[in-house]
Formats: sequence, structure tokens, C-alpha cells
Amino acid sequence: MTDTEQFPVRVEQPDRNGGNIFSRVFDELTAFCRSRSLFILHYCTGCGAIELPPAMTSRFDMERLGISPMVSPRQADILLITGYVSVKTLKRVMLTYEQMGSPKYVIGICSCTVNGGMYWQSYATAKKLNDYMPVDLYIAGCMPRPEAVITGLRQLMDKIAAGEANGWEDYYRRYDYYLGHQQRLFGETWQTPTDVIAEARHYGLFGPETLGDHTRLLEQHQAPLEALEMQLGLGAPDEVKA
Amino acid sequence: MRAENYEARNHPPSNEFEINFGPNHPGIEGNYALKVKVHGDEIVAARADGGYLHRGFEKLMEQRLWIQNIALVPRICVPDPAPMEVAYSMAVEQLCGLEVPQRAQWLRVLLLELSRLAAHLFTFGGHAATTGMYTPMFWGVADRDLLLDLFEELTGGRVYSIYNIPGGVRRDIPDDFLTRLSDTLDYIDSRLPDYDNLLFTNQVFVRRARDAGPVSQAQALDWGVTGPNLRATGLAFDVRRDDPYLVYDELEFDIPTEQPGDAWARTLVRRGELLQSIRILRQVIDRLPDIGGPIRAPIPNPLAWNVPAGEAYVRIESSKGELSWYVVSDGGDKPYRVHIRGPSSMHAVQVLEHLVTGCRIEDVAQIMFSLDACPPEVDR
Repeated sequence: MTDTEQFPVRVEQPDRNGGNIFSRVFDELTAFCRSRSLFILHYCTGCGAIELPPAMTSRFDMERLGISPMVSPRQADILLITGYVSVKTLKRVMLTYEQMGSPKYVIGICSCTVNGGMYWQSYATAKKLNDYMPVDLYIAGCMPRPEAVITGLRQLMDKIAAGEANGWEDYYRRYDYYLGHQQRLFGETWQTPTDVIAEARHYGLFGPETLGDHTRLLEQHQAPLEALEMQLGLGAPDEVKA
Repeated sequence: MRAENYEARNHPPSNEFEINFGPNHPGIEGNYALKVKVHGDEIVAARADGGYLHRGFEKLMEQRLWIQNIALVPRICVPDPAPMEVAYSMAVEQLCGLEVPQRAQWLRVLLLELSRLAAHLFTFGGHAATTGMYTPMFWGVADRDLLLDLFEELTGGRVYSIYNIPGGVRRDIPDDFLTRLSDTLDYIDSRLPDYDNLLFTNQVFVRRARDAGPVSQAQALDWGVTGPNLRATGLAFDVRRDDPYLVYDELEFDIPTEQPGDAWARTLVRRGELLQSIRILRQVIDRLPDIGGPIRAPIPNPLAWNVPAGEAYVRIESSKGELSWYVVSDGGDKPYRVHIRGPSSMHAVQVLEHLVTGCRIEDVAQIMFSLDACPPEVDR
């Protein structure tokens, strides 16, 4: 018996007009409330971060939409990728993304996240963000103005309220696809502390494309996680100071 | 984490441990990281960890035409992009022996000083926020936005102006631009007493910033510190005065210096520079209408432009410090080699590592912002 048979597969979108009327109303209310209270984790991956302070502060004031910055990925709803992602940054972005609790939304700001933008030929940057994680909304521009950022966020709010911003489900359903791209960039031994496959089962999002060649490769290389020990070359811990 | 993967380990004594300060941290400036070893809340060792913003500029520029690089260079330093394009244009002009018209030089000074103002306002805001005061941050960002409106009017871009090309500038000032510029400068001038009350003489800020991250003058010279950080140690060195470029030798301005070399002194130097930039801009407003002539020297077809072989070295004063460009041409239509000596790579790596060692963990963000390092320029 394969894993696919053992666990229910839910590939298609749930029918929003069917089912119990109470649960439907409850779902819609939840989606509405979710869309009105969003916490942004903005990872300043690149240039676009400079247009976020104006968008957040007095002049354009994101907070009137119920959107406010959040410092910790565990409590954030939106991951804002502000600009080009170098390979080194993308590893951290992946770790951050997998730490965030579902439902989570990803916005790619700046042309560089769409197709590499200005750095299309750079050896150091990842070109298309949606190869590595599902992106709910792109805001193109180099860099997009604060008005464009606010408009993009409003569109995301509408999508959330309509129940269409389901990119995070896609990460579980097609984990193999995203993992394949990550392995191509980071090497075969790439792994994160998060057990995405177990989470996919937990959310009932385990699908036929969750597992594949790349997850098999991951299992081969998955070493037992070790307690975090940084190797800064700063020497062994000193003697306890009196 | 899978349960079978977890293995209990004997951790080292927990009074001393290493933590990641960044890259995704509200107290770090941009996408940059410091790995610090703390003993209690005192930092005993630190290592800067850059490279998150590396795009390989110097390699990318070798693959693009001379004129295409103009669009690329402002991206090197995001908060203060204008000096990059001016320096690159000056290097290409030096290679070609192009004479830049007088009016274009004045317009470049206008752009550079506007950019310096915007960058300093942004830095004040960031520095205040790291000491827990968010009002100056809101004010600084809002006032900077007024300058960005001027940028937009003058160049078409809010942040990346791409206003300079080798040989001059792209367009002349719009009608009545100088009046609006003058009004904005008056407004920023009128805001300074508020900033003084809120930030520069505010005891909350002064007591935090004083004695944080001190640099002596000898250390600063050893470590390659330039710009406001060097002037905060008492040495009045400014490329604008000591090696004048453009028309800075015709302008009157002072070089503010402060003595102790700590975060507080560095902030005061920037406040002084804010006033000097306003003073320079006022002189530009007075003189610019009398300076006629073209805004651009004629250049050959930019798509088939073979710049004569040779090498050029240009240095200018950006808001972060001394910015130098070394450009080599082999006579082709693309640069043969480009090297950028940005001020931040000294400030954010060696100097920062030294300064945070021995301080307390809550001062790390403050010291980083007081050095005004620009991570995209460190990594390039």
C-alpha cells in the first residue's frame, strides 16, 4: 500500500457552494476576518525594502488596512520578498517560509522576483521565486511605488476574502516540484528542519505529487538533525566567568 | 522535526552562547547578519556575515554596454543611489576625456546633495528606531518622502533616478522646480528644532548613544573609516573639499566634526551635514538660473560606443563615506574590469566587528545604524 492510497487525497478545491450552510458561513467569516488582520514579515532580501518604510509609515499608512509588520515568522501571515534573492538568502527564505504557520501568503515584490529582473544574468541570484515556493501575488516594478505595494496588498486581501489565496496548499500538494528546484540550486543534500511531508498529511493536503524523485533523494540524504552548533571559528566557550 | 531525528545532546554551559543577529531581524540594517557570542548580555565575540545581497556587480558590468551599466549602478547602494551613477559617469568621462558642461555639473551637485539629505533623514529614523523611539522614524521617513517627490519630478524615479549619463545629465530641471525645492528645504529647516527636541537633545537617546561604539582617530585611520564616521573622530576630511570634483570648489560649506567618535558624535556629524547640504542646495538654487548652456556633452552612438583603452579612478563623497570607482577599458564597448570601493564594506565588516565586541546586545543595532553601513554596497 503506497502512501497515496493510505492518506486521503484532496487535490481539487473544496466546493464553496456545497456542504453545510453553517460551515460555509463560518468559512466565509473566517476568510473575511483573516483578510482584515494581516501581519507582514518582510524579509529585506533586496532593494524593494526601501519602499516599505514609506508604505508603512505616516504617508501611505498600511496600518489603516489592518496590515502591520511582525518581527517573528511564527506569528506572521504574509512573507514579503522584497527584491532579488541571492542563493544564500533564498536558503534563509525557505527556512523562514517553512517556519510560518498556515495559512500563509507570499508576495513577491520587484521584477527580480518575477524573472530575475535586472540581474537576469547574475551568477548569484535565484531568478523565479515561484519555482521555490508558491507565490500568491507579484508586484512588478523596479521598484514598485508605495501605492503599488498598497494596491497589491488590497488585492491580496480580496483574494483571501474570496478564498483564492491558497498558494500555501500548493506547497504541500506539489512539494516534490518545489523541492526539486531547491535541490537544483542548493545541491542534493539540501534539507530543512521542517517535515513538510508530515505537515501535508496533517493538513489533509497530501497528494500524488507530494512525493516523488526529489523527496526520495531527500530521504537518502536526510541526516539526523543535530542540535544547532554554529561554527564561527570563535573558539570553544570560555571558562565560566566569576 | 521528526521525532526520530531528534537527539538529545549535551549543550555547552548556557551562560555563554552564540546567536544569529540577522539576516531576518528587525534590528539589523537590511539583509545582513552578525553572528555574536554573548556572555549574559555582553558580547564577547562577533563575526560579520555578509553575502546575502551579493549580485556580482563587478562581473555583471563586464557583460553590459557602457550605457547599459548606467541603469545597473544605482542599485549598488539603495538608500543613497545618486553618488554611484555620478561616480561611474565621471569615470567614463575621464576615460573618454569628455568635458562635462557647467550646467550639468551644477545639476549633479543638486542631485548629490538631495540624495545626501534623503539618506541622512533615513538614517536618523533608523537609528532612533533602534533605541526604541519610533516617532523620529516616522518623521524621518515622511520628510524623506518630500525629497523623493522632488527626485520624481526631476528624474522620473523616486529612488533610482538614473539621471546621469556619461557626458552630463538626462534632462533639465522642470519649470519652477527650484521654487519647490526651496520650499521643501525651508520646511526641513523648520523641522530641525523638532528633531532636536525629539532626538538630538533627547536624554533617552543621548544616554543610549553616548559612549556606544567609540572609535579613536588612530583606529579610524587604521581601519579605513571614511565619511561622517571619520569626521566624528575629529578629523575634518571630506573629499568634496580636499579633492574637489564637479563644482564643489565654488561652493561654500563647512565640514562638521565632533570629538569622541562614538555613536552620539556620529549622529551629530550627520545632523551638521544635513545643515551643510541645505546650505549647498541654497547656493545651487541661487546660482543655477545664471548658468546656461547645454546639459550634456555630445557622445557617440551609445550602442556602438568604444571607450578608449585606459583606466580611470574616481572618488567622491557619498553620504556613507568615500566612494571610489576604478574602471578599466580595453577599448571595447564594455568595461574590461570595474572595481568599487564602497565605504560600507569597511564600516560594516571590520569596524562593526570591533565595535560590537564588548558592548551589550541591545546596542548592536544602534552601533550598526550609527555607522550608517549599507549592506547592498558591502556585498555588491
